[in-house]
Amino acid sequence: MFKDCTMKYNKQDGINVSIQVVYPDNPDGSHREMSVPINNNNTEYQKIMKWVAEGNTIEEAD
Amino acid sequence: MALSKIDVANMLTGATPVANGGTALTSGFVNGRTNDQGAPIIVNGDMAIAQRSSSTVAQADDSNEGFATVDRFMLKFGNNAGGTITTSRDTTAPTGFGQSVKLNVTGADTSVAATHIVEFTQPIEAQVIRNSGWDYTSSSSYITLSFQIRSSKTGTYCVYFQTLDGTSYMYTAEYTISSADTWEQKVITVPGNSNLQFDNNANVGFRVGWILAVGSSRYGTAGSWTTGSAYGTSNNVNFLDSTDNIAYITGVQLEVGQYTSSTLPSFQHESFGDNLLRCKRYYQHIVDGNHKLISYAHWASGSQVTFILNTTEMRDVPTLDYDNGNDYWGIGGAGGSTNTLDNLIIDGYSTNKCIGLYSGTGSGGTTGYAYYGFSDNASARLALTSEIE
Repeated sequence: MFKDCTMKYNKQDGINVSIQVVYPDNPDGSHREMSVPINNNNTEYQKIMKWVAEGNTIEEAD
Repeated sequence: MALSKIDVANMLTGATPVANGGTALTSGFVNGRTNDQGAPIIVNGDMAIAQRSSSTVAQADDSNEGFATVDRFMLKFGNNAGGTITTSRDTTAPTGFGQSVKLNVTGADTSVAATHIVEFTQPIEAQVIRNSGWDYTSSSSYITLSFQIRSSKTGTYCVYFQTLDGTSYMYTAEYTISSADTWEQKVITVPGNSNLQFDNNANVGFRVGWILAVGSSRYGTAGSWTTGSAYGTSNNVNFLDSTDNIAYITGVQLEVGQYTSSTLPSFQHESFGDNLLRCKRYYQHIVDGNHKLISYAHWASGSQVTFILNTTEMRDVPTLDYDNGNDYWGIGGAGGSTNTLDNLIIDGYSTNKCIGLYSGTGSGGTTGYAYYGFSDNASARLALTSEIE
């Protein structure tokens, strides 16, 4: 599901609150993007945790 | 309360219907149904709602896989299964229905590997089944699945049922497409089992899946619950074996009780609005196209913009899912000036009822002033999703 995606935490008040998932660019430069809340009941968050368990890494927030 | 006889004459005259020897019924008769228990268990069973796309979407493993057209139904290509199916909402439908989902094989896979599974599925919240009235731990208590299907490929197909709480159990049932390109109604009854578990929560607890192709290591025995894999049986046709294959499905209903095609309650047709509202618990399409309002916005600092979206209550805090690109999103106001936004982020205060967004890339606004956020490109799309899979 996250093939060639980049992932980065978003911080609010110093705490990671969501994860920005950026899909590869389309030919016109646009792309799909998701902002996933850090919430165990969220399906995309569950998938990201599996993705991390496979050895992938989420970039820290700026 | 068991009803043995109902005074139909009183019903026709508008008087209160009375069960023979029982208590007067004052509710529960909707659209001709005599066992109505509220909203249907299956959401969007008439395929009327297609928020993501009502036109064709080519779906394959890791390419538009999942939810793509009709709401609440997803197409999965398990374990990198091959083939492409182009799905769409279609007006081909049996009597009494206005639309169906069309499954058109546009990329064949003539050799199904042992672990492959291609399925059309609706995942259901655990609490929906737990509170449905089904005595699911009793083998003498049943649920009945009914659906209308039309396929160009005849033969034996399977539909599976899977529980997800505690130890997962699967049950597969066979049905037969007898005549090509002809609408047929299929009715399948499933008994309970003492080992089934459904928690009282909003997570996925049950799946109903129509098997389109299944590999040998995912076979089970039809008609019994098992902890093993039982997506289909060895009799299941490979629907993806030719690009000539097209199927349509609609009228999906899941009823508590044991029914035949002659005793099954009629399909519970909902208004478009009621159906849409139930779909929005899982997915809300907010914006599609150019110059559409997201919500009012507020310049929180020189470079940060915040938005608040009031939504229909969703299953849980949703994911923001949108398309982004050069000048896709903007902020306007304060005398007509506009600025672009490069990213949109869901904030930590968001709930399933009210969503907060912010963008850290706005510039030029005045801190504390109210503005509006909008789409600024014909290809812009923004949605909230709280699906279960």
